[in-house]
Amino acid sequence: MSDEKKSCCNPEAEPTVTRSAAPMWIMVVTLTLLFFGGLFMDSHGGWFDAKVYAPYRSADELERFQPKTGGSDAGARGRKVYEAVCGICHGNDGNGKPAQAPPLAGSEWVTAKGINRLTHIPLEGLAGPLKVGGKDWNLNMAAMGVALSDEDLAAVLTYMRTSWGNKAGEVTADDVKKIRAEIGGHPQPVNGEKLMKLPE
Amino acid sequence: MKTGFSVFLAAFVALGASWYGLVYGPVKQLGGAKETTILQSSDKWPLQRTGDATLGLQIYRAAGCAACHTEQIRQTGAVNVILLTDLGVHQPADFKEFMKSLMVVPELMNYSNTIVGNLENWNGELPGTLYRGDSGDAVSELGKRLKPLGIKTEAGIVARGADIARGWGYRQSVAADYLYDAPVQLGSLRAGPDLSNIGVRSPDANWQLQHLYAPRSIVKNSTMPAFRFLFTLRKKMDGQDAPDALVLKPEFAPAAGYEVVPTAEARQLAAYLVSLKNNAPLYEAPFTPITAAK
Repeated sequence: MSDEKKSCCNPEAEPTVTRSAAPMWIMVVTLTLLFFGGLFMDSHGGWFDAKVYAPYRSADELERFQPKTGGSDAGARGRKVYEAVCGICHGNDGNGKPAQAPPLAGSEWVTAKGINRLTHIPLEGLAGPLKVGGKDWNLNMAAMGVALSDEDLAAVLTYMRTSWGNKAGEVTADDVKKIRAEIGGHPQPVNGEKLMKLPE
Repeated sequence: MKTGFSVFLAAFVALGASWYGLVYGPVKQLGGAKETTILQSSDKWPLQRTGDATLGLQIYRAAGCAACHTEQIRQTGAVNVILLTDLGVHQPADFKEFMKSLMVVPELMNYSNTIVGNLENWNGELPGTLYRGDSGDAVSELGKRLKPLGIKTEAGIVARGADIARGWGYRQSVAADYLYDAPVQLGSLRAGPDLSNIGVRSPDANWQLQHLYAPRSIVKNSTMPAFRFLFTLRKKMDGQDAPDALVLKPEFAPAAGYEVVPTAEARQLAAYLVSLKNNAPLYEAPFTPITAAK
């Protein structure tokens, strides 16, 4: 019996499980690691937000890098769309090309007070006579704006209305959305006469 | 066993915690991912692939492309930039004075050193950098203040990182990009370039086919194996080239009277490669294209 009690020191005795308190230093190290781990996760983890990826560290930081709508970035976007879609015929300087496309710079259709007629042109296309700056044009234009998103079309129309010396108001994506809904699924190419019948 | 319950509890906590962290957490976070909307647009992302491109993913997988190519762009940071593009009727010297007087605006005060420093170094050339840093508010405030004066600015967010500097993409890859990939071909080794944006870099399917048949006919020192089993070498019919026969340089062309035509698999793989794009800004990975990022 006395052998069993002294099992710790008898090399031939079977080992048994005993209990002892965990050393204090392990507690301290574990809690310190947890503390600094928590601090790191707090500042870099983005709180498990599915939208926050490194290198962004939090939803707030990501928010700081969102493009601001209606600000100066609309100009850059409008020009990009213009040069990709419209500039080939209307010229990157907005002066148009003889026998190909009328100028947009100084055009009364582009700089009109209301944006309704202007917005109908890219959404429905043009076919037939149209007077621009006192000159008669009689050409066809496909509905180039149909494939553009509301935001892109609004940006490009705004770009036309504020560039090359044009000084007219902005076109918003909501305006485009509304007009697109009014046209519905059956766009009919417009001309000068038809445009004049539309509200300004 | 005296300690059976403790052992069970310890094993349960250890396995349960890893299950929670590695299985349940990610599924809860991204398991229900749907199409997202491209930033400042109503267009959806990612684009649904064509039938050929969907099948092409399986060819990509079978051919082991992911062994040497990755499909993930890394990013180390982002920067808000505002460029001055047009001074209107104003003179550069007046503009500098005006900007200095503008620095008392609360939104701009913290950035006055950066902005004034940029202006000191600016020699009147357009476009000039007004500000680059992490504050989107400073950028929009500057844009708002300068607009009524007829001074034009362009603002943008530029993603930074080695992969982006190499021209492999516009922004980091995020989970949304892989929504229609099954299985996702992330890859881990870059013996060849990253392919996340190959559909923008080389949008021509014929280029892709030629490159698959004879990589060194396009990139001289390419180490990519030629995937000739995806093509058929056959005798020309009536001595005429088939419309889809590859146009190859003389040193890679087959013997006279023969032609190389892609199989359906090659076409599918090319369609898949052309469908790989990284050019849409998303909320979680914003960028805006601006003209001159210097």
